[in-house]
Amino acid sequence: MNLITTLAGSYPKLPTEPGAANVRVVRNRIDQGKATAGDLKRAVEESTRRVVALQEAAGIDLPVDGQIAWDDEQTPVASGLEGFAIAGLIRYLDTNTYYREPEITGPVRWRATITVDAFRSAQSLTRRPIKVVLPGPYSLHRFSKDRHYGDPAQALRAIGEALAAESRALEDAGARWLHFEEPWLGRARAEEAPLVRAALEPLLAGRRASTVLHVPFRSPRSVFAVLRELPWTAIGLDLVEAPDGWGLLADVPAGRTVALGLVDARNTRLEDPAAVADEVRRAAAQLPDLSYHLSPTASLEYLPADRAAEKVRVLAEAARLAAQNGGR
Amino acid sequence: MPRGLWTTTVGSFPKPPELERARNRFAKGEISAEDLERMEREETARCVKMQEEIGLEILVDGELYRGDMTTYFAERMAGYAISNPVRSYGNRYYRKPVAVGAIRRKGAMTVEWWKYAQSLTPKPIKGMLTGPYTMMDWSFNEHYPSREAMAMDLAAAVNEEALALQDAGARYIQIDEPAISVRPEELPLAIRAFGRAVQGLTAKTITHICYGNFDVIYPALLDLPVDQIDLEMANSRYDLLERFRAQPFTKEIGFGVLDVHSHRVETKEEIVDGIRRALEVLPPERIYVDPDCGLKTRTVEESRRKLEVMVAAVREVRAERGITA
Repeated sequence: MNLITTLAGSYPKLPTEPGAANVRVVRNRIDQGKATAGDLKRAVEESTRRVVALQEAAGIDLPVDGQIAWDDEQTPVASGLEGFAIAGLIRYLDTNTYYREPEITGPVRWRATITVDAFRSAQSLTRRPIKVVLPGPYSLHRFSKDRHYGDPAQALRAIGEALAAESRALEDAGARWLHFEEPWLGRARAEEAPLVRAALEPLLAGRRASTVLHVPFRSPRSVFAVLRELPWTAIGLDLVEAPDGWGLLADVPAGRTVALGLVDARNTRLEDPAAVADEVRRAAAQLPDLSYHLSPTASLEYLPADRAAEKVRVLAEAARLAAQNGGR
Repeated sequence: MPRGLWTTTVGSFPKPPELERARNRFAKGEISAEDLERMEREETARCVKMQEEIGLEILVDGELYRGDMTTYFAERMAGYAISNPVRSYGNRYYRKPVAVGAIRRKGAMTVEWWKYAQSLTPKPIKGMLTGPYTMMDWSFNEHYPSREAMAMDLAAAVNEEALALQDAGARYIQIDEPAISVRPEELPLAIRAFGRAVQGLTAKTITHICYGNFDVIYPALLDLPVDQIDLEMANSRYDLLERFRAQPFTKEIGFGVLDVHSHRVETKEEIVDGIRRALEVLPPERIYVDPDCGLKTRTVEESRRKLEVMVAAVREVRAERGITA
């Protein structure tokens, strides 16, 4: 069994040790006129270093940079593309967290790199490949208000192409793994499958990096017949909130990877690593033609920092146990 | 002569900067609990007086002594711990409740504040609680085997508090469920839990819910065992009213006419227009006019100006239609 450990989405920005770099404090001080943008940049760098080091120490194979500078999952990328404006705060699905709603106000086009500098900076901290986390095109569209296209297929294709351009820039900078957060694939209806294809085809075609489509909260079963035909490397499933995702594994084409979301990112209750390892082994035994990642169900930023760190350790320990008894 | 179009608010009022500072100083141990409470009582009195001056008819205590709408209650119940900060957006964080044991009401959570506020005015003060489904959905759960088990224990605890408010004399009890629309498939659970929370109440019951997935849960939402559903109408440009033409709204409505996310003070004309549109689909005796949501994100002055315009608009429509309070 080839089992790789990784995270999804963003990571808590706050430190667990007193006195460590703290972006929340610096941003409050900026509001009071007591700190500068330079101070914030240093705090972001320090916090990213801490998040990457924490993953390395736990033995996470594909660490993420934690998106320490991001306010939400959509805004940094949408505001970096041509054709988007950013509007008011709205609730992010059923999470009791919020994001600013992107509005499509003109043709969506990629104009310059958005995430490459942050990737380079995070990659310089570790020899392990940093997995770059971006909003997926289907979800970015569903989270946005379209005031320009009217025709969703056209909008989705444009967003997919724009994210493909960003992906190329990341690949040129050395990124080996690209992870796309796609919560809306779990809410797509079967008749929306052509729209899913319109968004993802231009993004995934010709990718040099390996790709993950990660679907937190619900399983993408309604559109899986189309999804399985697209050339992604890995599909990420939330098997805690949406255990019906287990039923999709048999339809994953041989040779592909499933990121098993078995560590609950939305509850502080800690899993028993041995029980998680059992579930990984069960999947691997039933479907040995697939490869596996072990990941949290969603972004660990839904948890307080102390508990997120414990979840990372649970995940790594579960992977170790699974490999021990399953012949990694 | 028809009666109706009573004016009220959704619950929270802005904390004045002095009170915010005092809360921060209390958190750092620089002032005592008594010092903070003295200030909270002063500000509550000021808030009640302001509502009277504006001419509102059903008042609230303003919740100036509460932080987060779930954490406040969780801190006062058995079975709950409070997490380290979790981010909600940007640089905003809150401490989230964690169910670590069986959740029970230990004692009164809001009754003394209600009694104090009611002692300041002859007008009715609403009792204000957070509903069991929202408390469950906005907490971590390390104890219960299911969301349902947790929601039903919370419902029993909320019910005890609601009955205590009623015993103290509250004629209006509002049990807010802003999370009710986020998982439409769980609406039956939310309705069952709410039914438990209002068991034995004879006071008028109200719930405030946020717009969210309203399309998906309406009209099933009308099965909620509550007298009045309070909805944000202004920030969706009253488009729900069209829905009510096709599928009648069968309860009293808390009809939000002030966008609480905007600094702009609404004009009297636009509020008058909104109320007239409401009267096309609902009789005046089933309409309570209020802001879209709690006012805590606005400043005290913005809140006052918005509410003054709202009251003026109601008076104009009442005069025009011969409606009395």
